[in-house]
Amino acid sequence: MHRSDAGPQPQPHEPPGRFAQQRPQRVRVQAPQDASLLPPNQSPEHTAEEFYVRQLIRSQLRLACAVAAGLLALLVGICSLLVFWPVVSIIQLFSIPLSWWVLGVGMYPLIIVAGLLYNRAAARNEQRYRSISRG
Amino acid sequence: MSNGIGASAVASALSISALVVVCLTTMLIAFYGLRISRTTSDFYVASRTVRPWWNASAIGGEYLSAASFLGVAGLIVLSGQSGLWFPIGYTAGYLMLLLFVAAPLRRSRAYTIPDFAQIRFESSPMLRKLTTYLVVVICWLYIVPQMHGAALTLSIATGLPGWVGPVVVATVVCVTVLSGGMRSVTFVQAFQYWFKLAALVIPTIFLLVRAIPQQSAGERAHSLYAQLESVNTMNLYETVSIILALLFGTLGLPHVLVRFYTNPTGQTARTTTVIVLCLLSAFYLLPTTLGVLGILYTPELGANNETDATILLLPGRLLDGVVADALTAIVVGGAFAAFLSTTSGLVVSLAGAISQEFFNGTVRGFRISTILATALPVLIAVLTSSLALAGAIGNVFAFTASTICPLLLLGIWWRSLTAKGAIAGLLTGAITCGLSLSIGIFLPTIDLWWVHLLRQPAAWSVPLAFMVMIVVSRGTRRAVPQNTDRVMALLHVPDPSRNS
Repeated sequence: MHRSDAGPQPQPHEPPGRFAQQRPQRVRVQAPQDASLLPPNQSPEHTAEEFYVRQLIRSQLRLACAVAAGLLALLVGICSLLVFWPVVSIIQLFSIPLSWWVLGVGMYPLIIVAGLLYNRAAARNEQRYRSISRG
Repeated sequence: MSNGIGASAVASALSISALVVVCLTTMLIAFYGLRISRTTSDFYVASRTVRPWWNASAIGGEYLSAASFLGVAGLIVLSGQSGLWFPIGYTAGYLMLLLFVAAPLRRSRAYTIPDFAQIRFESSPMLRKLTTYLVVVICWLYIVPQMHGAALTLSIATGLPGWVGPVVVATVVCVTVLSGGMRSVTFVQAFQYWFKLAALVIPTIFLLVRAIPQQSAGERAHSLYAQLESVNTMNLYETVSIILALLFGTLGLPHVLVRFYTNPTGQTARTTTVIVLCLLSAFYLLPTTLGVLGILYTPELGANNETDATILLLPGRLLDGVVADALTAIVVGGAFAAFLSTTSGLVVSLAGAISQEFFNGTVRGFRISTILATALPVLIAVLTSSLALAGAIGNVFAFTASTICPLLLLGIWWRSLTAKGAIAGLLTGAITCGLSLSIGIFLPTIDLWWVHLLRQPAAWSVPLAFMVMIVVSRGTRRAVPQNTDRVMALLHVPDPSRNS
């Protein structure tokens, strides 16, 4: 059987190659700033290319974890609030308890906004990586 | 399960014609797709030419299953305010998918989760096998509730015996998948999202128009509030556990992941996911509204454990004559669209996994696998009776959250993961979560802490699976694959096709 565009062997994309041409210059400019973020002496001959990919992964992961932690805290927070502070459900709006409005309607816009903000920030991270890799 | 109402002849005729229309339209779109798709690549991932809006509609269509269409309203009738967490979890689960999985997985160029395991750990065929088996189990666990939903819907709306629904769904799914593969499935799914939305919007509007002026303001305020607050809710542990299961379970669902391979780039995969968030949010407002109406007008279903029928019975409670019958028929059509779309998505990924594992991924192998993938769940569904749909699906989410989710999250983001660690974590998650769920089914619903722990295992089994994966990987740190840096670059470096 023939698979046209994908095989089990992963092929790196173009940017690392393009980026490799710019290598020496980039090491000088960027390495000292975030050197503390590198795992200690994993590979001494660690190229700049790898360094920038690691930086990109780290910034994307930090961003994703921040949004996820915020979401989780919000959900678990609301959940505990409803259990330990039932006053919220005594307040009514159109004869439906406030807690029903919050859970049934109010959560969705928050989730969408979180998604939009993340999307923009993630694209920005990638943009930064691209501009660095092009020199 | 017994059917609550004796359906009149007109009502049955209308419901059956709605069912026939949905099935025929689905198959017509599939045949239209047949003319386009010819190669194996078409068959699996629609050649990656699907646009974000199409793809998002298709993902929405695929994701909104029996549990969403019938189960959410049913769960709100059954457990009141706690039921509201399910649609939130289903939607927020997509956000997690966007955050951690969407773009990297698209860039990995894998077709299925086992493919991802292979790309990440070339030298471990055992890990690939294990993920294949897990995918097969998860898909079957997920298809069976769809079949139960089909049996319930058809027997309530038309009085036909329980096996007819599953057989209809299985036949239509087999025909659509066999005729065009993923390409036609994408069209079918996209159509079915909008159809499902319409099938709930129309009855909701009619029912609200009818229900709102029925009582005077003061009386309404009193009774509505009293009834909403009277329903038993779940305790804090159960609720948190369900939230975790839904948040982390979504990103391990095989039929959801396969959709992302049809995006052209990582960035479009993200855009698609944001659109999906909007589509899901819009949809879930409807079953929520209908669930509230269900508490008011069909509260007795909660006592009989027949809450999944809420949406099907509501039109008959609030309206009379042809209008009620027509609305019921629309709901039946929408429900079948839900069963068909989710089942065909699952069958595509299940057949993909089986054919790659046992038939070297040929088109013929894919066809044989498709038939295998649909036949067994029909048999299981006919032989067993249904749990609450949303609850059954919640259990599947707990299982994926304890198995596939740690593999994907750590595989994508943690370079020190080793094949041994992944295998240990997968086994731990599968065994602990699977055992406690299967014990939990047989336990009565009593308010003891260990019963809660067994019935809702996600809150402890997900962290446990992550921990085992991390600890074992740390212990076998020499076994980190040589090509990890290259694979990580493949997953995370932005796509070159976008000229910047």
